[in-house]
Amino acid sequence: MQIYLPIAEISVNIFTILGMGAAVGFLSGLFGVGGGFLITPLLIFIGIPAAVAVATGANQLIATSVSGALAQWRRGNVDVKLGAVLVIGGVIGSLIGVALIKVLRQSGQIELAIALLYVVLLGGVGAVMMVESVGAMRKAREGKPPSMRRGGQHVWVHGLPLKMRFKRSKIFISAIPPFLIGLIGGLLASTMGVGGGFIMVPLMIYLLRVPTNVVVGTSLFQIIFVTSAATVMHATTNQAVDVILAIILMVGGVIGAQLGVRAGQRLRAEQLRALLALLVLAVCFRLMLDLVTTPDMRYSLGPIIENGAAQ
Amino acid sequence: MTRVRSMFLLVTTFLLAAGGLAAAQPSPGTAVQKEALDVDLSSHEVSIQTDFSGIKVVVFGAVNNSRQPSAASGFYDVAVVLRGPEQAIIARRKDRIAGLWVNADSMAFQDVPSFYAVLSTRPLNEIADEAALLRYGIGFESLALVPRYSPRPHTKAEYDAFRQAVIEIKKREKLYREAPFSVGFIGTSLFRSTIDLPSNVPVGDYTADVFLFREGKLLSAAQSSITIGKGGIGQFVHQGAFKWPLLYGFSAVLMAFVFGLAASAIFRKG
Repeated sequence: MQIYLPIAEISVNIFTILGMGAAVGFLSGLFGVGGGFLITPLLIFIGIPAAVAVATGANQLIATSVSGALAQWRRGNVDVKLGAVLVIGGVIGSLIGVALIKVLRQSGQIELAIALLYVVLLGGVGAVMMVESVGAMRKAREGKPPSMRRGGQHVWVHGLPLKMRFKRSKIFISAIPPFLIGLIGGLLASTMGVGGGFIMVPLMIYLLRVPTNVVVGTSLFQIIFVTSAATVMHATTNQAVDVILAIILMVGGVIGAQLGVRAGQRLRAEQLRALLALLVLAVCFRLMLDLVTTPDMRYSLGPIIENGAAQ
Repeated sequence: MTRVRSMFLLVTTFLLAAGGLAAAQPSPGTAVQKEALDVDLSSHEVSIQTDFSGIKVVVFGAVNNSRQPSAASGFYDVAVVLRGPEQAIIARRKDRIAGLWVNADSMAFQDVPSFYAVLSTRPLNEIADEAALLRYGIGFESLALVPRYSPRPHTKAEYDAFRQAVIEIKKREKLYREAPFSVGFIGTSLFRSTIDLPSNVPVGDYTADVFLFREGKLLSAAQSSITIGKGGIGQFVHQGAFKWPLLYGFSAVLMAFVFGLAASAIFRKG
């Protein structure tokens, strides 16, 4: 069944979009990542203009993270205090991101910058997670208890001022690292159209030593606020939010997310991390391939950007 | 004998005038009258609804004072040019730099037709020569793409490559099309052609120019127009997004929250 999207200005098959929303929603519920790093490239792949894909992806992520965060909340997996620090960082990061986009657009290399950023971040995060989770799985098989909180590996984090107690996460650390992690998330949300979960989740696990289950809920909590800010921003600067497309994605996404949360309960934390690492590495590899292989078409067309807005 | 002949002429003239087909009174003694075109489109307004998946528009017309003996004689050539609203676009070219394919050069064009379809009875180069096609703007070769200010001047070869790329990409998007053998005559004067407007057709005012050729010479031309707009929910959404962007943005956020909460409530019960 074809449906015409008024902002994207193309006609798409409603079931394709529903399926995409459900698949990404499932992964989002499973891993606690927003799924933006998957939905945006997928939308572009089926012919949605890039600006619309990024903006609508952000809009859809709100619904997915609201329902995901609520499900986590009921299980006591949201650290509101830690989440609040992340949100403050996230909002400031979004503002910096907007300014950064303007500079990059003027230089005409925004696409390359975003692609390289993706490859470096996804590659680094994916590799670290993979090595760690495989190690943890091996240990589990040998019968040793999984040691998530190894002492002496986060010395510099403990040396920082502004220490706060985050009860739910069972940590007593400086507010600066979570603020910075939130800031990075916000920066990515406004520049790449992602929630930033894929970078915040591993940083919180490995740097802050927050328990994996709390990380998932808390990052979803932060993503709600950052994607809301990004949606309003994209709607006012580019008129690029397609609510019809967003609704279809949401219907698929919320269902998928609920199923994902349930599936996540059945998997062990290190297995979950290994799977997420695989996914992240796969997307990274795909993007790298696009950068190095000879393109089918060397030329591309775009609208002329003046004063930061598309004509 | 003379009287019978003039009677015949009078009757013929009367019939032609009554049928609204005669452009002018024939002066006695002139055997050949100039051809004239009447054209129209099957619709003048297309409203894009939610279930829109493209539409076909029929361009039809009649050659007045047609001299061709039959529809298949190939006596006349007809070219139909449908143009969409013009827009400024930028074309970028990727080059391999340090192993990576990156946008290296770009060229901006102004007044590029967002849609451009040329339908004709035969390939354009068989209908008229380059100069004539260029004069009337018929065909990709005759499409004037005017470059905008560029910080770095481009050579003729670079301009040609960018121009070719614009046309190629638009062709892939099904927004540019050249279709020979797609205008057909029905009888001696009626002709018709069908234009496919794909689902990604840009909204705005379109003009359809119809040209009548005979042995490379333009005999007559006529114009018609069509407006493509959004209707229903699509129009409502589009207007909201452009007229009240802040309200639209907050509504989108609110809607997403409602969706998330509703899904959560449903799944908790289940």
